[in-house]
Amino acid sequence: MTLAEFFGCAFLAFGPPLAMFCYTISDSPIKIILLIFSSFLWLLALLLSSIIWFIFIPLKSYLIFGVVVSVLIQEAFRFIVYKLLDKTSAGLEELAGNSLVIHNKTVLAYVSGLGFGIISGLFQSVNILADALGPGTMGLKSGSEMFFLTSATMALCIILLHTFWSIIFFDGIHHRNKAHLSFVILSHLFFSITTLLNSSEIYSLTIILSVINVILTMCFAFKIVGGTFEKLKRCIIC
Amino acid sequence: MIKIKLILLNIVILVNTVYCDRTKDKIYENISGHMCFRRLNATHQTGCSSAGKSRGSVGVLHLISSEDDINFIINDPPSPPYAPIILPNHFTRENIIKLRDSNYVSAIVLVNDTSDLDNFSQESKCPNQFFRHAKQPVCDSKNQNTVWNPFGTGLLHENFDIPIIFLAKKEESDKVIKCYNDFNKASSRKSLCSIEINSFMAASGNSEICIRRSRSLAIIRQLTFCDPLQGKNVYGTLYPREIVNPINRTNDIDEKFIIVSAHFDTTSMFDGIALGAMEFSSVATLISSAHFLKKIIKKDKKSKYNILFMLFNGESYDYIGSQRFIYDLKKNDSFPSPSSYTRPLTLDNIVMMIDIGALDDFDSVSIYHLNESESFASKFTSAINSYNNKLKLNVNINAVNSNNLPPVSAQMFLRENPNFPTLIFASKKPKNKFYHSVYDDVKNMKFSYYNTSEDFDQLDDSTKITHFPSDSIQIKIRNVATLISLGLYNLLNEDNKYAENLIASSTLVDEFLYCYLKATKCRLFDSIFVFSNDFNGLDYPPQRYVSVQAAITLEATGWAYRVLGFVLSQKIENIQKENCTVLPYYWIPGSLKTGECRLTTQNLSYALSPAFEEEGYNYKSNLYSTWTESTWNDLSARIFLQPSTAHESLTFIIGLIMLILSFILVYFINSKAEILFNDINTEHVALPAQC
Repeated sequence: MTLAEFFGCAFLAFGPPLAMFCYTISDSPIKIILLIFSSFLWLLALLLSSIIWFIFIPLKSYLIFGVVVSVLIQEAFRFIVYKLLDKTSAGLEELAGNSLVIHNKTVLAYVSGLGFGIISGLFQSVNILADALGPGTMGLKSGSEMFFLTSATMALCIILLHTFWSIIFFDGIHHRNKAHLSFVILSHLFFSITTLLNSSEIYSLTIILSVINVILTMCFAFKIVGGTFEKLKRCIIC
Repeated sequence: MIKIKLILLNIVILVNTVYCDRTKDKIYENISGHMCFRRLNATHQTGCSSAGKSRGSVGVLHLISSEDDINFIINDPPSPPYAPIILPNHFTRENIIKLRDSNYVSAIVLVNDTSDLDNFSQESKCPNQFFRHAKQPVCDSKNQNTVWNPFGTGLLHENFDIPIIFLAKKEESDKVIKCYNDFNKASSRKSLCSIEINSFMAASGNSEICIRRSRSLAIIRQLTFCDPLQGKNVYGTLYPREIVNPINRTNDIDEKFIIVSAHFDTTSMFDGIALGAMEFSSVATLISSAHFLKKIIKKDKKSKYNILFMLFNGESYDYIGSQRFIYDLKKNDSFPSPSSYTRPLTLDNIVMMIDIGALDDFDSVSIYHLNESESFASKFTSAINSYNNKLKLNVNINAVNSNNLPPVSAQMFLRENPNFPTLIFASKKPKNKFYHSVYDDVKNMKFSYYNTSEDFDQLDDSTKITHFPSDSIQIKIRNVATLISLGLYNLLNEDNKYAENLIASSTLVDEFLYCYLKATKCRLFDSIFVFSNDFNGLDYPPQRYVSVQAAITLEATGWAYRVLGFVLSQKIENIQKENCTVLPYYWIPGSLKTGECRLTTQNLSYALSPAFEEEGYNYKSNLYSTWTESTWNDLSARIFLQPSTAHESLTFIIGLIMLILSFILVYFINSKAEILFNDINTEHVALPAQC
């Protein structure tokens, strides 16, 4: 039985999003609806990319093709989410009765980004978590003991990244800032291509690169929502 | 995300160069082996079962190479439970019972390694000791001079609440040993190589409980908890019997039979691997002697006796076949079954019995008998010995008057009536060191196939030399078979002595043993059965463990039916294939592949214990065999790395810290959101931070 390993990995991957959900989402029904709505759209993106991957038989063996296509489709769906929320904001406002949520583009971006993140994190790690339940662990034939921890960390990274990407992306569309949009796409591509390194089992490198990616994106997103170093300092001091 | 899934897929493909669907395939490696399983009798359960229905027994592999390793495992080892890997020469009663009774052992892995292996038998020292004739003294497991299986450990009749797996294939044995060497040898701090064995048995307690449970739930569920061991006895008569209408058939008291019998089945502790080669020599002797006798008797003149050659099935489990045979005879109208178109027989029709028991050693054969059969025995022995000298067969035969008879079918006849004239052929000293074990193979029997192109349907000439060396098993079986047949010949023909030089066929023995011990794709089977299509037998021998009613064990009895039918059949000239389709006429390709029509006498009878047929049978009465075999869903085993406690705790603590930390951090950020973020849309935007 490796229940401990299972819970360790589950907490690592889904602890932060759980905390985020509890403190920032669960207070408002409309936010929960938005979260699920964006998760659903991410699923549609997944479906579409699988169909494309399925159809282009000759390119099936090139993993990088699938990766790039999938990244682009996900970003396209992020745009669709933005458009849909924009179009339906009037209706949503009526539904919500709380204009704060709807009018604050940052909150919308945050909620839908978290939705994207949670569902993609789930898809990435559920199979692995099920196998982590035991009784065995990785490393018999090949592979390393750190496999489960690595995959849980990667799942956490993708959840956080999606949240930050949505914030930057929505802001980029709002202000028609192409640089922001391309940052998101490049960062996403970078992350996905980094994971390809997993095949050579250099887990440490993958994790370091991904964490750097997360920190950079976080800083960028923090700056976009109006955060500065000064504010952070003031916040910690008091 | 699909890409992540693809990536995971890719990891596996690149590293392993085999296609795997899931991470699981990288974590586990399946191990194929033969599982010890559960059998039950009236009072006990024997054999093994894994712990749980859904999950198997898991244990850390540990190679036992000395006494110290056993002591290490049973004396509070560092990371229990353990699954000791044990070599056959350490598979002794003492060791296994010690491991079984230890709290730190969850499974036992027996690997295939015959080096330094002197003996290996899981049967008890006195097989079937509770079913015997009434006289004393008999086999006593405490007195080594009286036992019939001196090398027996009796583990076959022990109960294990842990699974035991036998890894017959070399590569599977190597896999587990390598895994142990790679991961477990060095230190216990790291992840340890472990095995999970799934062999959960549905039945428990004893046969009575389990049959009752099966019957009471039969309406609700089709599955049973256990099934009676059963098979088919095979028999054939020397002379064809009169064909009668099954509707008004009656017993004819003037029909007198001599039974010549041998036990057909074998067993072992592990599922699907029980060749029982050495014990099979008795069946080969019976077949050879039936063939010889049929060739030398005069076909036109009827003797006052007929001979019933019987191969009893299920004898390893308290004589199921012979018990049923006697039970059927006592019912007066059950044997043979009406569908055989022959008259029914009763116990009164049977006048004598020659039972061919375990012939481990052909050089000195004993004829065991009770005091009551003394005159029969001395007459038979002197007849045999005179032929032995005349034909120079060099078999040392002597009669042994003893109450301690070998564990053979005759015990059941003598239980009915100790005065019944019975002779038991068996080797003077039991020499089979691998009785009822997985190692009773052709090597143990010292059988090697000579693949001669001789016609096996022809008899040998005692004055000529054969293809086989004089110390080969083929010649030894031939010689003993010849003597038994000639002893019977004397009984059939009163005064007329056999004066020819022809003796039993050694080529037939060679071919017969090959078919049953090596592969059913063989010359003998090909000559006595018209195969359909391209199929002409399998590359492995048929299974002779009696088992429950299943097609897989019917194969062995099916072939016995055809072989016995062939050796006791009479060639009918001038009949075409089209006119030779209804039994007792049977068309075979023949030893020369020219096609021949044969008048046959063989048939099958039930070998199912009367205990399961009789209403309200008292299971405690010890009257009939009550062996059943438990049912199971799944027999499987796999090895994997069990994470060390250190690694597990590390993972858990990292996860827990992350969880707590993120709750604190998110709470903190959320409460300070107004200060941190420049929220233009909030009302408090203009307020200065309140420190």
